[in-house]
Amino acid sequence: MTWVIAWLLGLGTLAILGLLVVHLVVALVLIIPTWRICTRAGFSGALSFFHLVPLIGWLVVMAILAFSPWPNGEASSSGPGV
Amino acid sequence: MGVEIAAVMSFLGLTSAFAVVAAVLGTWMAWRILEKAGYPGWLSLVVALLTLSGVAWIVALVLLWVFAFMRWPRDQPSGGMAVAGTSPGAIIGPAPRSIGAPSRALPDRRGWRLVGMLPSGTGIALAIAETTASWVVTGAATTKPGELSVPDPSVGQPHARLLSAGGRLGLEALGDGETFIDGARLLPEHGARDISAARLIRFGKVELGLSRA
Repeated sequence: MTWVIAWLLGLGTLAILGLLVVHLVVALVLIIPTWRICTRAGFSGALSFFHLVPLIGWLVVMAILAFSPWPNGEASSSGPGV
Repeated sequence: MGVEIAAVMSFLGLTSAFAVVAAVLGTWMAWRILEKAGYPGWLSLVVALLTLSGVAWIVALVLLWVFAFMRWPRDQPSGGMAVAGTSPGAIIGPAPRSIGAPSRALPDRRGWRLVGMLPSGTGIALAIAETTASWVVTGAATTKPGELSVPDPSVGQPHARLLSAGGRLGLEALGDGETFIDGARLLPEHGARDISAARLIRFGKVELGLSRA
């Protein structure tokens, strides 16, 4: 019985590790273009690290880009507030 | 058994609700981001539909990369703008525009100074007297009065126009090279901006401190 539990724990750990690796890979694939978009908009590229937050990270980055005025100017506005 | 089924159904219901809310929010925010970059916002609906179709999420991912690295309409000089040529000595657009009648002229009529360091390590100081209403900043050597030379490859030829009136100083980007006012990007379509209260002006890679002479 003990070895069954040990097997289950081992498999569980492996599954969690696998999920973590997949999450990091997906986050990296999202972080690179988001870094570029953030810097072009005038924000710090480090904002893209929100993609590391599971589930809601991408919503946070998008919300900042969508609802904050872009320091480098927007097509729909008259530009930086100088 | 009923309790377990209810728990599973609740979990599925919650995750579905989260997915729906996230999809709507994501589409709405993508709409706004696309509009800020100069694209029509409805393109976000296409991306959302692609993503929702399940297998096409990879297309949405590719589009994210394309969007990040492609040229945005926001960064294009507007068609009606007088963008000067890029060759040295090119004719610089039509007659300079004024700052647009400042609401209140400043009593201080001293000139302005732009002081900084070139990437090569050489110091640079530009004097802007109010006796001349319009100055052109260029990366080339000056060939005529009213030109200010910032000899660096990152500076356009010409790069920007400085406008002096009523004790105030204005700046207009001409489209060749990047211009920043206190870290905020100035694009040609923004027109002339009052920079009398600004501290740091950047032409290309050259950052200059603005002060009264």
